[in-house]
Amino acid sequence: MTESKLESFWVRCGLGTASGRRAELRLAGMCLVWALSLTGGTYLIKSDLLPAGPISWAVAALPSAVAVFVLVEYTRFLREADELHRLIQLQALAFGFGGGFFVIIGYLQFEKLGAPTVGCTDLLTVMPLLYAVGTLVGWRRYR
Amino acid sequence: MKNRLKVLRAENDWTQARLARELDVSRQTVNALETGKYDPSLPLAFKIARLFEQPIEDIFTDTSVSSR
Repeated sequence: MTESKLESFWVRCGLGTASGRRAELRLAGMCLVWALSLTGGTYLIKSDLLPAGPISWAVAALPSAVAVFVLVEYTRFLREADELHRLIQLQALAFGFGGGFFVIIGYLQFEKLGAPTVGCTDLLTVMPLLYAVGTLVGWRRYR
Repeated sequence: MKNRLKVLRAENDWTQARLARELDVSRQTVNALETGKYDPSLPLAFKIARLFEQPIEDIFTDTSVSSR
């Protein structure tokens, strides 16, 4: 499939503009690199495969370094997106951040009453999950 | 806000995808505009007016004003 046909397909499906598509692909790629660096790094650290010292620290710091590029790509993606998609992203971010915050605070109350203790990292996964739900709701609302 | 986007597009015999390309927005945005689910920003409204060579007020009608 040639570039123009792919772009035409993208536009026909209503998935965004051609420049938005490129930004989405760059963002998806960077998210993948981040996820791989995080899971790979976690595996290496937990399995004691790394010698103690600077190498371990570098592996631990790698996901954070990649995260900077994820944020840069996300900002670029927002700039390239058309105005409706920007609105959908704004609503999804509000849903993800706001909803996640209230779910976490709410669950901590239940923990005080004896609910199973969940780690901070596990609780934080609520935010991207709600962000994804918010994005889907936005897409459905304006489709 | 009401608009005549669908009519104008039909007059030009354009698909939503073609109009989306002309306006540099997604087809989803064109569809949301036509169905009245989304009101365009002022720059996009001007772009639409320029594309169809019509004044903005001939394309968009503020229903809150006309219903008074």
